[in-house]
Amino acid sequence: MTGRVIVITSGKGGVGKTTTSANIGTALAKSGYKVVLIDTDLGLRNLDLLLGLENRIVYTIVDVIEERCKLRQALVKDKKNPNLQLLAAAQTRDKTAVNAEQLKEICDTLKEENDFVLVDCPAGIEQGFQNAVAGASEAIVVTTPEMSAIRDADRIIGLLATKEEITSVKLLLNRVRPNLIKSNEMMSVDDVVGILEIPLVGIIPEDAGIITSTNKGEPIVNDENALAGKAYRNVAERILGEEVPFLDLDEPKGFMAKIKNAIAKLKVKV
Amino acid sequence: MLMEKSAVENGFIIDLSSIKNTSQLVFELSSIMEHPDVKGKNICLKLGSLDLKQSQLLSIKALIESMNAKIAFIDTKSEQTEASAVSLGIMIKEISSDLTADIAPSEEDFKDSEYKEEAVEERTENPVQDTNSQEIVEVHTEVHNNPIETTEGIEDIYDEVSAQELSEVIPSENYQPDGFGILAASEGLLPEETSKYILLDTGNVLPEGVEENSVNTESMQTLYINQTLRSGQTISYDGNVFIIGDAHPGSEIIAGGDITVWGILGGIAHAGCNGNITSKVRALKLNAIQLRIAGLYARRNDTLNVPYVQKTNEFTPEEALIEDGKIVIYKKLRRD
Ligand SMILES: Nc1ncnc2c1ncn2[C@@H]1O[C@H](COP(=O)(O)OP(=O)(O)OP(=O)(O)O)[C@@H](O)[C@H]1O
Ligand SMILES: [Mg+2]
Repeated sequence: MTGRVIVITSGKGGVGKTTTSANIGTALAKSGYKVVLIDTDLGLRNLDLLLGLENRIVYTIVDVIEERCKLRQALVKDKKNPNLQLLAAAQTRDKTAVNAEQLKEICDTLKEENDFVLVDCPAGIEQGFQNAVAGASEAIVVTTPEMSAIRDADRIIGLLATKEEITSVKLLLNRVRPNLIKSNEMMSVDDVVGILEIPLVGIIPEDAGIITSTNKGEPIVNDENALAGKAYRNVAERILGEEVPFLDLDEPKGFMAKIKNAIAKLKVKV
Repeated sequence: MLMEKSAVENGFIIDLSSIKNTSQLVFELSSIMEHPDVKGKNICLKLGSLDLKQSQLLSIKALIESMNAKIAFIDTKSEQTEASAVSLGIMIKEISSDLTADIAPSEEDFKDSEYKEEAVEERTENPVQDTNSQEIVEVHTEVHNNPIETTEGIEDIYDEVSAQELSEVIPSENYQPDGFGILAASEGLLPEETSKYILLDTGNVLPEGVEENSVNTESMQTLYINQTLRSGQTISYDGNVFIIGDAHPGSEIIAGGDITVWGILGGIAHAGCNGNITSKVRALKLNAIQLRIAGLYARRNDTLNVPYVQKTNEFTPEEALIEDGKIVIYKKLRRD
């Protein structure tokens, strides 16, 4: 088996990479695929918390690299779904403890036995980013509809374009608030897609449930009723190649929509 | 002299003796420590007359250890710093001129380092510097505005990376999954749903070549730390560790003997890391994400996964120890 290695990245911090990794990973595993999540945010690890797995971590990716344990010993199985495993980052070390070569090797090994390897990338464009993308052949760029996040996402897309191994770069727009779009206070989905010009893989609404789910260590995809959970399940299905319409949140004209009208209109319904 | 020399093998001397305040020191040091060549090295800190409290020195130690390097010894003119170092078990040595001559790279090693020459120059102009320091070779951090330039000044004097401390703590070969064990509470064995800690299926994780032993922990040295440990900070000590303060989730305490936290213990605590099965973990509030004693590892029950504990006035001290191959928690400290 050769699984797909997908890096979840953003440039800007705090836009939802880790939330996205945890949720897509959980959704894919629920559909029966074998998934490994790798946390590459050394020293600021979070993914284990979102999955509620912190108390099970004995070995981290640094222990694997420094040969204190075997790779399979460091994989922590999810509480609910044995298809989902986590390779945790070291909390007491920093990004220099790992290099791109080593990460690529780990990804290469893991994709032999898994359908998906999802790499949660740290913020920034330095070594942490270079490490995280090293083993990947696909990327999901997470952004929010804010100028600063979009600027950083644009930078990241440019950097990803220089990596030959990466054959697919998709956009995930997080924390969308239809009300603000309606009142022209937030850029619309069309605006963002118009600027970044890469295919959209998901639109996740702002959802207070994400905060409670983070605190509980339980990804929101497990919540059948949450809108963000539904949106993440849709992302997983699109990753699996299905055509799933975007959730209908009723999109009005955004402040850049007029300019963008000239550009081939991607009829995206939020 | 021979002994002194061996102390800096695989290492650097970092001269911070001209720095007069702690924040500048931490800034300079952290920019130096970012250099990849520092990894795995023994660091000798030359600190001058700056007074460092124990907590400050501890932060500096943590900074260095977070980069996988360690402090070999420090050279200080301050009594305060010296006392702090002693309490943290850090060696104090004077960097003598003989020693520096021994470890100094030859003139040639300097040739392509523009920055170093400049640094040496600055130094001779500085009347505060003692005469010895002129011959010392090292990273010189005369207050410099460009940290990157400073890091380039690092000279790799010896290369071989010395043995890892951590590998003694986290071994690789003894891994034998043996199913879940259930921990007992003071009232006796409790089912998984109600027990506070659950043994991890890692089997007995003792470092290679290390045997279980029952050395009396009272005979060991104790490291006192008067500070809250924060996420990412590690205390590793071959003896007992006593923390006056909390140990936040994300922190790690690894001790050869007992661990006592006079506060809330929320991180990882590993007592008896060298196989001592009589070691104990005590805290006013025992909420460690993982409890490890000798080769037994246990995780906190998922039902108790509240990372941060509300502070109240009603903590009951708890003590964890090994009984019959299990980790048992007693609600009150036992008096034998
Ligand atoms: N759709 C959403 N609705 C509400 N809150 C969200 C949403 N997505 C993310 N958040 C919140 O935003 C914060 C940052 O999310 P997350 O940690 O996933 O970002 P990140 O990109 O991984 O950050 P970092 O760069 O620090 O790694 C979290 O507090 C999370 O709960
Ligand atoms: Mg993150």
